[in-house]
Amino acid sequence: MDAFINGFISLGDPQLLLVLLVSTLGGVVIGALPGLNATNGAALLLPFTLSMEAIPAIASLVAIYCSATFAGAITAILINTPGTPASATTCLDGYPLAQRGEAGRALGLAVVSSTIGGVLSVICLMIAAPLLARMAYQFTPPEYFALTLFGMSMLASIGEGSPLKNLISGTFGVFLALVGVDMLTSVERFTFGSHDLYDGIGFVPVMIGIFGISELIVQASSLDKRKERVSMKAVQLPTRDDYRQVWKTILRSSGIGVFIGILPAEGATVASMIGYNEAKRWSKTPEQFGKGAIEGIAGSEAANNAATGGAMVPTLALGIPGSATAAVILAGLMVHGIRPGPSMFTEQANFAYTIFWSMMLVNLLFLVVGLTGAKIFARITLIPTQVLWPCVFMVSIVGAYALDQSMFDVWIVLISGIIGFFMRRYGFSVVPLAIGLILGEMLEQRLGQSMVMLDEKWWLMFTRPLALLFFCLTIAALFGPVLWTKYLVRVFK
Amino acid sequence: MTRRMPKLNFEHWVVTFVIISFCGATFWISTTFDRMPPILKRGIQPADFPQLILILMLVLTVAMIWLDPIIVDKRLDSKTVGSLVLFGVFGGLTFIDLFLALGAVAALLAMFWGERRWHAVVGIGLMMPALIFLLFDQVFEIRFPRGVLTNLWYG
Repeated sequence: MDAFINGFISLGDPQLLLVLLVSTLGGVVIGALPGLNATNGAALLLPFTLSMEAIPAIASLVAIYCSATFAGAITAILINTPGTPASATTCLDGYPLAQRGEAGRALGLAVVSSTIGGVLSVICLMIAAPLLARMAYQFTPPEYFALTLFGMSMLASIGEGSPLKNLISGTFGVFLALVGVDMLTSVERFTFGSHDLYDGIGFVPVMIGIFGISELIVQASSLDKRKERVSMKAVQLPTRDDYRQVWKTILRSSGIGVFIGILPAEGATVASMIGYNEAKRWSKTPEQFGKGAIEGIAGSEAANNAATGGAMVPTLALGIPGSATAAVILAGLMVHGIRPGPSMFTEQANFAYTIFWSMMLVNLLFLVVGLTGAKIFARITLIPTQVLWPCVFMVSIVGAYALDQSMFDVWIVLISGIIGFFMRRYGFSVVPLAIGLILGEMLEQRLGQSMVMLDEKWWLMFTRPLALLFFCLTIAALFGPVLWTKYLVRVFK
Repeated sequence: MTRRMPKLNFEHWVVTFVIISFCGATFWISTTFDRMPPILKRGIQPADFPQLILILMLVLTVAMIWLDPIIVDKRLDSKTVGSLVLFGVFGGLTFIDLFLALGAVAALLAMFWGERRWHAVVGIGLMMPALIFLLFDQVFEIRFPRGVLTNLWYG
């Protein structure tokens, strides 16, 4: 309880408040720019946080996560281009509503739904993360290994890319994590005698490359797309009738978002798809969906923002990222020497609760920012791609260099950017690669510890009930996507 | 009922070949890792886990050939190829100066992507690199590698 109160009191720090305000504004700008999203935005800005203390650094990353996830709705509604993948379903009803001259109403609904979804998810995070961490205290290495394996298996069902290719991408990420000197035995692995590789491949340059540079190359092929913005007078708060129509949808989608967010590796995109779909299924006027139904906007936006808090639950409590952006935040935690897991809620409880309260504040901040500044942020959407992305390129390269003041990191950014582009071209999502890279070392360590503990009889892992449960869940996660695809085909038919 | 293999394109086989070759080559390299005596190995040998991962990747790739082939619907367009070439140019120019490379490639990229307003190109090629340099040098106290331009600042 002390940490809960101390975390709240920490928000009184003017420096932290300033960081949160600037990051929220930055996150809204990032989310409003087509092509940039919470994940690549956080990856690009990660090097800038290295000179900060751990609390403001991580708070700024979570602020970008929450606000960029919301801001994707601005472009979705005004130019029919989702600023982030998570707001793709917002386009379906947001843009038709804007075309009818109700852009302000659509944005107002998106802001309010996002805020409610976000706030509810932070409340769940505050309750669920310490509980999950307490449960995880009972885990021994075999349980941890099985849990990490389960986290990895969830990569199969990440929205972008097919299950098989996602798994290949994930295993490639795990492989990259093994490059360098083995911490336990001091044996060099895949270093080819290069001193730069002794400490392994840094995950920050890789993330900047696969999320930032690969997106730049992808943008090269979409330069001809014309952006036409729908005019808007001002953002309007939803009316009482609007609230009456959507409150159930917002609550339902918030629940869905939190649940989907908690699942390892699933994120806001999947949450918004399910949130939208369930809003349609429960609606009294499903025929209005796709033509400007306000429940569609509320369902999608509440779910995608609720997923942000949900995704932070496994990230902080277990060290397993709940989404791609959470993977970047996890990388940020590790860079600052903080290892997430059960001990975080005992040894660094003040830190954890300050982050929770920061997320809460950010969700309220973007309500203000969204309602007062959406019209200004809407103008950002018209920044030409040919101006924006060369600037992103420069920031990516210099940011990567600044990590260790090493040109080697610049090469890593370029190479991983090119590999990331070709992976995306051939249908391999880059998100599993990032998550595999983060979890790879942990997976090997826990396997090694399990083998020591079980006297090298690996099959004994299956005799431990909790580990067995996670292995069963792993199998379900591997084959679940096939059933999920069938479900989606049936629903969207 | 037998599953018929779809007609596959050239790129499918190239990608498959690259992944399988990568797995084969790295697996072979992993066989050269030092082996630890039982008391020091801490559960598994240094080569065990990488080999397990590479075998898994290989199995998944072989499964991909039949179950989830690579389908590319469009060829690389000139803008994409040009952008990739510019990355190569950037790599070369970094040996002269990092910020020269950044400014030149960013300006060329903007022009190649269709930016014709000279003030925008100058802003991207000169102002942005200068601003970024000053920000990192003065605020974050980052020391950049010496080169033709950075020497002017560092002396």
